[in-house]
Amino acid sequence: MTVFTRFGAIGLATASLALALPALAQTGEVNIYSYREPGLIQPLLDRFTEETGITVNVLYAGDGLLERVEAEGELSPVDVVLTVDIGNLVGAKERGLTQAFTTDALERLPEAYRDPEGHWAALSLRARVFYVSKDRVDAEALTYEDIASPEWSGRICTRPGDHPYNIGLIANRIAVWGEDRTREWLTAVRDNLAFAPEGGDRDQTKAILEGSCDLAIANTYYMGVMLNNEEEPEQKEWAAASRIIYPDAEGEGTQVNAAGAFLARYAPNEDNANRLLEFLLSDEAQQIYANINYEYPAVPEVEPAELTQSWGVLKPSEASFAEMAAHRDEAAALVDELRFNEGPQG
Amino acid sequence: MLPLPAAVLCLVLVIGLPLLWLGAAAIGAAIRGDNGLAATMLPTALRETATLMLTVGLATGVLGLLSAWLVTHFEFPLRRVFDWALILPLAVPTYLAAYTYVEFLDFTGPVQQMVRALTGATTIREYWFPDIRSNAGAALVFSLVLYPYVYVACRGFFLLQSASINIAARLLGAGGWRRFFAITLPVSRPALVVGVTLAMLEVVNDLGAVLYFGVNSLTAVIYSTWINRSNFGGAAQLAVVIVLMIGLIILAEQWARRDRVYSTARDARVPPALERLSGVRAVMAFTFCGTLVGLGFGIPFGMLLYLALRRQSPAMLQLTASAATSTVLLASLGALLVVALGFYAARRGGRDEPPLSQGAIRLATLGYAIPGTVLALGVLQPLGAMDLWVNRLTRGFFGWTPGLILSGSVAALLYVYLIRFLAVSHSNLEAGMRKRGESVLHAARVLGAGRFKAFLLVDLPTLLPAVLGAATLVFVEIVKELPATLLLRPLGLETLATLVYGRASAGLFTEAALPALAIVLVGLVPVIIFSRLSSRQRVLPLS
Repeated sequence: MTVFTRFGAIGLATASLALALPALAQTGEVNIYSYREPGLIQPLLDRFTEETGITVNVLYAGDGLLERVEAEGELSPVDVVLTVDIGNLVGAKERGLTQAFTTDALERLPEAYRDPEGHWAALSLRARVFYVSKDRVDAEALTYEDIASPEWSGRICTRPGDHPYNIGLIANRIAVWGEDRTREWLTAVRDNLAFAPEGGDRDQTKAILEGSCDLAIANTYYMGVMLNNEEEPEQKEWAAASRIIYPDAEGEGTQVNAAGAFLARYAPNEDNANRLLEFLLSDEAQQIYANINYEYPAVPEVEPAELTQSWGVLKPSEASFAEMAAHRDEAAALVDELRFNEGPQG
Repeated sequence: MLPLPAAVLCLVLVIGLPLLWLGAAAIGAAIRGDNGLAATMLPTALRETATLMLTVGLATGVLGLLSAWLVTHFEFPLRRVFDWALILPLAVPTYLAAYTYVEFLDFTGPVQQMVRALTGATTIREYWFPDIRSNAGAALVFSLVLYPYVYVACRGFFLLQSASINIAARLLGAGGWRRFFAITLPVSRPALVVGVTLAMLEVVNDLGAVLYFGVNSLTAVIYSTWINRSNFGGAAQLAVVIVLMIGLIILAEQWARRDRVYSTARDARVPPALERLSGVRAVMAFTFCGTLVGLGFGIPFGMLLYLALRRQSPAMLQLTASAATSTVLLASLGALLVVALGFYAARRGGRDEPPLSQGAIRLATLGYAIPGTVLALGVLQPLGAMDLWVNRLTRGFFGWTPGLILSGSVAALLYVYLIRFLAVSHSNLEAGMRKRGESVLHAARVLGAGRFKAFLLVDLPTLLPAVLGAATLVFVEIVKELPATLLLRPLGLETLATLVYGRASAGLFTEAALPALAIVLVGLVPVIIFSRLSSRQRVLPLS
């Protein structure tokens, strides 16, 4: 028995080491933890490998990557973490998981789009806007305040309130309006929901097609990605039922979030990580963000895709990313306090 | 012999570590006065979890018991097929059932398309259709794929029952329903309790389906507390609540079976007899079983088959192939480890062992009840800390940094699989050992074989069916496992389950039909084995 267990243990140890080995750092590699859907990010990474010969290893997970990086500590194999919202970038720095990029490419970004010490950089921007039904909504322009009115009762839909995209929006509202006004607004929006929040942004466009809601809160680029989805052509139909309205376009401005990257504090391939950032901020990569992902390029010299421009002119909210990030916790507490995810309660 | 072998103690400690860690984190957060989050989220989470569990418990109980009763007591068209087909839904993990039912029943699915084609409606405002992505929808889908737990338990129980009571009741003039309520229901309580408990534990364990349906269940809330709010302490507190709740369920199960001795000895003179149903009754029995199989397996499987065949993308084919390879490798490793330790546990927990040892092993096998999300939460930090410690040591002594050996590797996954699935391999091997007896081992030793030789030449070969059976079950469980794999897998490792989850959570489930189909096909393996085994337990038709 003991002999058996000992053999078993040795065998298992070797086997698990063998599986773990490729994850360890080697030259010519860069390791990425990505919150982004692989479909959106893969073309970019393929181009990077083609140009530099650096192998890219990716762990994609919709959630929980910061927790991983934190638990792995100084041994973490990760070099660069790609996030889908600014909160995760700022949060990572606050938790001591980051260090400064050294590349000059950072200067291609306006100051508002990067960490003052260079720990993170925005790579693309996305506005959180209203998708409204082409058939059932006549309004040409709407403000955030508008959707709190009883006129929208039972007509609004969105993904869960504690998703980083909605936390970003609520945090931005707190930055602009203060907490009390935001609480009133969020309560009214909650009670105007057509059903308890569920699914992702794409699912909300489907709900508009279906007729179960008339206005969805969702990110801009989904419209472009869905209208051009050749693999799942049904999604073209989902998206075609809606049009985009930029909230507060005439007023304070629309809330914008950023997808970005930070350099991990214990990155084993720091140089390659810097080269990756240089590439991601190059015109070529920024054009891929614009033309394949339909996001707004973070580098001002690169134009958004024509389709994106056809939806209207983006006027970003005046509240900065830093202010928005500072109100994340209050935003999350508000979502809990109002039990937003349980849907209308009025 | 010591009252408790050191190795057994180690096993229990290793298995208990994540829970101890979470308990400490929960208390730590409480001492810091950081209870706000758990307190706000708890009432809703408890209410929604309890409602879901009770509904699913009730529905699986009714569906499973009725179907088992029909199949073992009556003869009707296709009964022999239903006998094994009723288990098929077990091959569909709850998250896949959720994804496929949404595809089937939501606005763009075939059912509503047909409704619109028939009524000429264009939006859902013009007709009524229930929303599948709701708490009620979740309860329905869970019940449809989890009833086989009750079916299998009750069916096995009925086959062992003597038919004499039933025949006596018939002779005394009791009709079918009266016999069901007066005899079948009270007598089958232990099996019913076991089946319903297993089904309810699956509900608590599920993460993929509740997130997709938007149910604020405990697992979902733990997940979002940890991930979206980065609040480990709060998540740990909620995890402790879930563990206490599971403890209560298990205690309730034990209590429901308290001090009753059910004689399962079969009266050899009275073989279980099947009463032939005819006319409307035969049609009803047939329809009931057929509907169950159709809803629990036909729809999810058919939907996957349709979606996978409809469009083949070479990119997805390649992703699926590579995910399948990793999955098979991972699940084989896992099965090897879990079966090896299950073997050891079965040995040490046997009836001839000291009671303390038996008790310790029983404790160690309770891990199957702990949700994967909770285990992942409890494993990540201690393994990370251990890695750090090992690396500092090797660096200090040898100037060598091996990197993440435990937390960033397959080891973390294997660890969680061991905790969750030890019970599966242990119970199979224990049953195998009990059936075989110890006499061959004694004979080998008497004839001069050493411990190792006896193990290799006698012990292992005679237990081979049990070992293979246990390995298969563990393999399949690992292939289906989602929450822990999702949170702990190493860089670059994508399993079939995580591939499907990734697409589905991005609203692109239809792209992932192929890997999803592969999971279900793997899940069919134990079902087939079970059906072949059970066909040996013949039931004689009453002519």
